[in-house]
Amino acid sequence: MRAVIAEDSVLLREGVERVLRDAGIDVVGSYGTAEALLSTLPNDEPDIAVVDIRLPPTHSDEGMRAALEIRARHPGVGVLVLSQYVEVGLTMKLLAESAEGAGYLLKDRISDVRDFVGAVERVGSGGSAIDPIIVSTLLSKRRSDDVLAELTPRERDVLELMAEGRSNQGIAERLVITIRSVEKYVSSIFDKLGLPSGGTESRRVLAVLLYLRS
Amino acid sequence: MTDSAIALAPVRDGSRVPSHAAVWLIALAGGGAAAISLVIALTNDAIGLELGEPLVIALLADFITISYVFGGLVAWWRRPASRLGPLMIVAGFVMFVTTFAWSENDVAYTFGQALDLVPPVLFLHVFLAFPEGRLHGRVERTLVATAYVTAIAFELVRMSLGGFGPHNLLEMTSSPAVAEGVRHFQLVTVSALCLCGVGVLALRRRRSGRPLRRTSAVLVDSFALGLIMIAALLVSATFGGPWVQEIRWATFVTIGLAPVAFVVGLVSARLARVAVSGIFVELRSEPEPADLRDALARALGDPSLTLAYWLPDFESYADLEGHAVELPGAGKRAVTRIDKDGEHVAVLIHDPSLCEEGELLDAVTAAAGIALENARLHAELRARLEELQGSRARIVEAGRNERKRLERNLHDGAQQRLIALSLELSLLEEQLGGDPEAATRLAAARSEIAASLDELREVARGLHPAVVSGHGLEVALEQLVAHAAVPVRLTVSIGPRLPEALEVAAYYLVSESLANVGKHASASSASVDVTRRDENVVVEVADDGVGGALEEKGSGLRGLADRVEALGGTLRVWSPAGRGTRVRAEIPCAP
Repeated sequence: MRAVIAEDSVLLREGVERVLRDAGIDVVGSYGTAEALLSTLPNDEPDIAVVDIRLPPTHSDEGMRAALEIRARHPGVGVLVLSQYVEVGLTMKLLAESAEGAGYLLKDRISDVRDFVGAVERVGSGGSAIDPIIVSTLLSKRRSDDVLAELTPRERDVLELMAEGRSNQGIAERLVITIRSVEKYVSSIFDKLGLPSGGTESRRVLAVLLYLRS
Repeated sequence: MTDSAIALAPVRDGSRVPSHAAVWLIALAGGGAAAISLVIALTNDAIGLELGEPLVIALLADFITISYVFGGLVAWWRRPASRLGPLMIVAGFVMFVTTFAWSENDVAYTFGQALDLVPPVLFLHVFLAFPEGRLHGRVERTLVATAYVTAIAFELVRMSLGGFGPHNLLEMTSSPAVAEGVRHFQLVTVSALCLCGVGVLALRRRRSGRPLRRTSAVLVDSFALGLIMIAALLVSATFGGPWVQEIRWATFVTIGLAPVAFVVGLVSARLARVAVSGIFVELRSEPEPADLRDALARALGDPSLTLAYWLPDFESYADLEGHAVELPGAGKRAVTRIDKDGEHVAVLIHDPSLCEEGELLDAVTAAAGIALENARLHAELRARLEELQGSRARIVEAGRNERKRLERNLHDGAQQRLIALSLELSLLEEQLGGDPEAATRLAAARSEIAASLDELREVARGLHPAVVSGHGLEVALEQLVAHAAVPVRLTVSIGPRLPEALEVAAYYLVSESLANVGKHASASSASVDVTRRDENVVVEVADDGVGGALEEKGSGLRGLADRVEALGGTLRVWSPAGRGTRVRAEIPCAP
């Protein structure tokens, strides 16, 4: 897997580079600005771009704009956005039409090396990675008719991991249950929420997030 | 202020006011005089020969006597500074004395006849001396003096020449033909002088070149008419014209009406003072300068009024348009100064007759002073408010920039370093491999760092909502709504990005309001609407809770109001008990 990094803090850029290299990912480019990232992207031909949301020169939304541009113009390249703050609004803006090849994580997650590498690999291969904080925020959101209350605790766990973009395999490993059980929980959840089941894992991420956000 | 203005300013000297006893005495004397005239007219036959019906002529003479005595009293009492009152009283009594000429008593007759022509001259004097009771200039003084000499001296000469009957004590020789010639000369001269008086009045009116005050205009017209009638009477009596009788009656009525017109004028001046209370009401509403002049002109009943502002820097006066105004010289227009707290503010240039209505002028001047001072204070207040508004906006802006800078420093500094440190520990843990104790301690250290990062994140977010400035209000509000304690319906329709200060203010407004909903409202749902209406952005947060929230109670709301007002906006809170709370801010924003 080929990765490029855009991060203005040298300390973190080198840290991420090292983590990815150690995990056997080929870091083909490492930049301090969104401009450098975008201009070399066609040459770098990465599978994934890891982008800090705040980049020079104004440190406002340059990273986000770069991420959206990559998603629009290079649909084959996965984008993982790292941010000091994770916000529901930004998540929905990044995902927009699809959760395919899109990730949005709190920067702190870098230090959970194994999880972080897992997220990079997922996004790099067309999957998604949504920060648990986003998912828990959406789950805790008050709504007038609370269908979520009808979920069993186990179903809730599965729903959370599903919304983070994890595969059935990943969920099964995390909860130490069989893939078969995971599939059963997933179809029960979709029934209860009244969502059409099936589709790719990325597609169900967006469906679940949209449901939770409404 | 010029000397002329000082000279024309009304003198209200208490010592000149007639005492009550004097007023009563004069009034009584006037009444007595009228009665005596009537008795003389009815008990003597001589009168009928020349003057016609004794009762009619006696009543008309009494009318003039009473009219001038009482009119003079009112004038004296109301305008003690003016000599007009005493002059009118004298005219009334002289009129009375002339009726002695109807008497058959020698002394009385001689005395009365000697003064026979003095009343017309006195009326001329009164009319020309109006309103101050003084004659202006040499022409007027010569005119009146000539008239007095003609009336008295030539009367004595004529009486010495005989032809007046048996009661004339002054008869020395009998030359009726010469006496007749003197009489003709005398009557024609007095007539001519009266007509000159009419000319003086007309000239005076023309010279002012401005509309006269209404009461003055009526008076001057009645004076001129009186003088014309006197002239007509004397000429027709001299040459034996037709209807002498009727002309005489009409003349007496006209002359007697002049004091009535004068008293009516005084009363209407009193009524004008009532208008002063009106002017206060009118001026209370911060008048435009032009309105102020008009209001003053209305209250004073003087359409010719000029309001001239004193410009200390130029040491001159200027009108509303800023044109220089020269103060008029003596004897023309009168000048009254308007001072406020010892500072010279402006002058009123007005009809001199207003000086006779000192109290009215004082009241209006005071009102004008207050209005001018009000206008000055308002202007000053507006300037200060503007300054304050600007400095508040600058303070809020400076605070916002400083907080933004601190947030940036935290983000680029401490937060990045802590994350890097946590990563380092994590990598170290992998290197150490299977040492369980080291792994546990490293994990504990990393979770400490994670907790610190969470706290730092909260601090940084409190300092400045970076998401708002980075990604816009709409994106940032979604997070607030997701975190709210109740279901919130969010509507944002503001089009493109708004100025950052405005977005940040709106963000804090929603954030604080939703926090209040969670804490106090016991609501089951809420709504957040951010819309753009014309030049304003309207932010409204409403809930269906218990209401009763007051702006003063929560310092949070006060702080929000400060933010909103610093941007020139307004914040309103509706919170009737039991009917929810609605917080609404309207913030102006350039299109």
